[in-house]
Amino acid sequence: MTTLSTPPPGSTNRTSDTAGKAPSTGRSRRGAQAPARVGRRRGNTGFVLACLLPALVLFTVFMVIPTVNVFRTSLYTWGGFSPDKQFVGLDNFRHLLDDQQFVRAFQNTVALLVVVTVVTMGMGLFLAAIMTRQRLRGRNLYRFVLYIPNVLSVVVIAAIFSAVYDQDNGLINGTLRLLSLDGLQQVWLGNQKIVLYSVAIAMVWQSLGYYMVLYMAGMASIPEELYEASALDGASGTRQFFAITLPLIWESLRTTLTFFVMSAVNLSFVLVRAMTGGGPDGSSDVLLNYMYKQAYTNSSYGYGMAIGVVIFAFSFLVSLLVSRATKREPLQF
Amino acid sequence: MRRSLVLTGAAVTVLGLLAGCSSGGSGSDSGRTTLKVAALEGGYGRAMYTQVIEEYEASHPDIDVELQISKSIEDEITPNMKAGKYPDVVVLGQGRKAALTETLIKDKALEDLTPVLKEKVPGENTTVGDKLTKGIVGNLNTNPYGNDQTYLMPMYYAPTGLFYNQGLFEQKGWKVPSTWDEMFALGDQAKKQGIPLFTYPTAGYLDSYFFALLADIGGEQFYTDVMTYKKDVWKTANARKALDITTRLLSYAAPATVGYANEQDFTKNQQLILDNKALFMPNGTWIVGGMADAPRAKGFKWGLTPLPAVTAGGKRYITTSVESVWIPKAAQHKDAAKDFIAYLYSDKAAKIFAESNAIQPIEGIASSLTGENAEFYQVYEDPSVSALVGGFASTAPVAGVDIKATLFDTANSIISGDTTEDKWQTALNDASEKLRQAGD
Repeated sequence: MTTLSTPPPGSTNRTSDTAGKAPSTGRSRRGAQAPARVGRRRGNTGFVLACLLPALVLFTVFMVIPTVNVFRTSLYTWGGFSPDKQFVGLDNFRHLLDDQQFVRAFQNTVALLVVVTVVTMGMGLFLAAIMTRQRLRGRNLYRFVLYIPNVLSVVVIAAIFSAVYDQDNGLINGTLRLLSLDGLQQVWLGNQKIVLYSVAIAMVWQSLGYYMVLYMAGMASIPEELYEASALDGASGTRQFFAITLPLIWESLRTTLTFFVMSAVNLSFVLVRAMTGGGPDGSSDVLLNYMYKQAYTNSSYGYGMAIGVVIFAFSFLVSLLVSRATKREPLQF
Repeated sequence: MRRSLVLTGAAVTVLGLLAGCSSGGSGSDSGRTTLKVAALEGGYGRAMYTQVIEEYEASHPDIDVELQISKSIEDEITPNMKAGKYPDVVVLGQGRKAALTETLIKDKALEDLTPVLKEKVPGENTTVGDKLTKGIVGNLNTNPYGNDQTYLMPMYYAPTGLFYNQGLFEQKGWKVPSTWDEMFALGDQAKKQGIPLFTYPTAGYLDSYFFALLADIGGEQFYTDVMTYKKDVWKTANARKALDITTRLLSYAAPATVGYANEQDFTKNQQLILDNKALFMPNGTWIVGGMADAPRAKGFKWGLTPLPAVTAGGKRYITTSVESVWIPKAAQHKDAAKDFIAYLYSDKAAKIFAESNAIQPIEGIASSLTGENAEFYQVYEDPSVSALVGGFASTAPVAGVDIKATLFDTANSIISGDTTEDKWQTALNDASEKLRQAGD
C-alpha cells in the first residue's frame, strides 16, 4: 500500500523565514548602495500605494460602506424613502424571534443548504471520479450535457422546471402515468410538504455540472503512478477513491463548501422568486426572499436589513465553521 | 518627474471612477420646465400616454414632458428616488407586488392633491372634482389616512368580480347564481359533470373577492371596520361568516389551483376557465386582453358577475380597482405636475384613454363604451349593486406583519388542508391587532 507523505511540520515557515532574511543579507553585501536603495524603496512604496488606491477606493465605496449601512439601518424603523428614520436599537432583532414566517424561512434555508450540499457534493464527486478514472466512452459528451444547466439563466431554469413539475402535463407526472404509477403523482409545486424539495432538485440540477468539473480538475492533477502503485497492492476502485482521490482533492472540496453556502443563500432566492414566489402560503420562503418582501413589499426597510444582518452573520459563521471543521494538514504527492 | 506622473495618473483614475458614480442634469433650464412623468405600462399599452402628452405639449409650449414607462416601473424609478431624484407625476396604483405606492403612503411622502379637485380642467370650465364620478374620491383609496385630504387621484377604474364563460352557462342551461346557496347548489351540480366551481390565478387575486364579500355580509360600515383594523373585528360573527363562506367555496376549488398559484404558472389557472375546467375565478377586466391569444373552448364568451348575495335580494358590492396618479412630496415641479394631472381629466385626454380601454371615473363615460367593455361596466347599472373602492388602511409599517398575505395566501393552505379555519381567524385577528396598534 502506498502511503502519502505529509510535509514536515514548519516547512512553510522555513521558506518564509529565508525570504524574510534575504534583503538584510543583500544590504550587508552591498552596503555602499544602501542610501540609494532606501530612496528607491520609498519611491516604490508611493508607487505601490498609488496603484492600490483605486482598488481600495472601489472596495470602500462598494463593499465597506454599504455593509456598514446595512448594519446601521437594521437598528432603525424606516420605510425606505422618507427622511425620518426612527432609532429603535435592537428591536428589529427582537421581532425576528417572534416572527414565525422568519423562522420558517430560516429553516428552509438551512434545509436547502444541507440537502443541496450533500446531494450535489456526493453526486459531483461520484460523477467526477467515474469520468476521470473510468475511461467512459463519450465522456466529453456527458460532461458537456451535465455542464449546460450551469450556463442557463435561473429564470430559464425556473421555466424549465415549471414544465417538468406541471401537475397535468409535466415531465414527471406524465412519465409516472405512462408507467402506470399514478399513485406516485404529486402536485410538485403545490404540496407544502414537497415544494422545498422540488426547489432543491432544481438547484442540484443547476449546479451539479459546475462542481463536477471543479472536482474533475482536481482529480486530473493527481499523478497516475499513485493509482498504479495502489493497484499493484491490490486496492479496489472504491479504496483508491477514499485513500487517494479524496485526500488529494481535499483542498478543492473545502473551497467548494464555501461556494455551497453562498449558493444556498443566493441561488435559492432567485429560484424561489421565479418559481414559487415563496408559496404556497410561505412554505418555500427562504431568508433572502423574506428579506426582500419585508424591505420592499411590506415597507419595513429596517426590519429587512435586520434580516440581512442575520444572513450575513449566518453565512459568515457557517463558512468559518465549515472551513475550521474540514482543516487538515495538506498532503503532498 | 516620473513619480509625479504616476501619481497624477492614479489620481485621475480615481477621479474618473468617482465621476462615473454621479450623473449630471437637472429638470429645468432657462424658463422651460421639464416635467418627468413615470407610468406603469399596464394592459392599456403605452401609445395612449404618448398621445396625451403630445396634446398637452401642444397647448403648453413652455413645458416638455418626459415620459418614462415600463411594465416594472417601480424597479426603474426607485433607485433614482433613493438618490433623491423623484419623478414629478407617477401613474401607479396600489396592490402591486413592489408596493411602491403603499410604501410612500406609509412614509407620508406624497403631495396633498386636494387643491387639484378644485382646479379647473385646463381648457374647460368645470373643475376636476365636478367631472369625477360621485363617490370615487373620499375613500381609503384616494384619502389613505382616512381624513379629508386626497393624496391619490383616481385614474382608471375597472370592475373586478367573478369571471366565467357565458357560453358554457348557455350551453348547459345554467343560471348565474345570485345567492351563495344557489352558488353551492351549482357547485354540486357541476361537480357531477366533472367541472369544479372555483379557481383563482394566485391567492392575491382574492382581494376583489374578499373586499366585496365583507361588504356584502356586514355592509360598508363593517367593511370599513375591517379595513381600519377595528379592535376584535375578526372575532365578530360577520367575520366568521365571511371565513365560513370562503372555506366552503375553497372546498369546491379546482384541484390544480394551488399547484399553479404562483408567478410562473398562474395563467394555467386562468386557462381552466377558458377550457371549461372551472366555472368561476376572481379577476379584473384586464383578463380579456391578458388572455386574448390563449386557446379556448368552443363558444367561449367572457362574463362578469358580482359575488352572489348573502341573503336573497341583499345588496351586493363589486370591488372596483382604481389606478392612481400621484405626486411625490419631493418632486421638483409640483405646480406644473398638478396642472398636468388636471389635464388628464380633460375631454380630449379621456377620449384618448378610452380608446385604449382605459376608462376614467368621469361622469357619463360609461355610456360611450362599446363591445365587451360596455357589458362589463354594465354591472354598475344594476341598482342592487354598488361599487366598492379601497383597501386596507395605511399604518406605520409593522415588521413581519402583512395582513394581505394572511388574508389571501392562507387560502392555499386551506385548500391543501395545511391549516384550519380557526387558525386562519386567529392569525387574522393577531395581524389586525398589531396594525391597529401601529395606526394609533
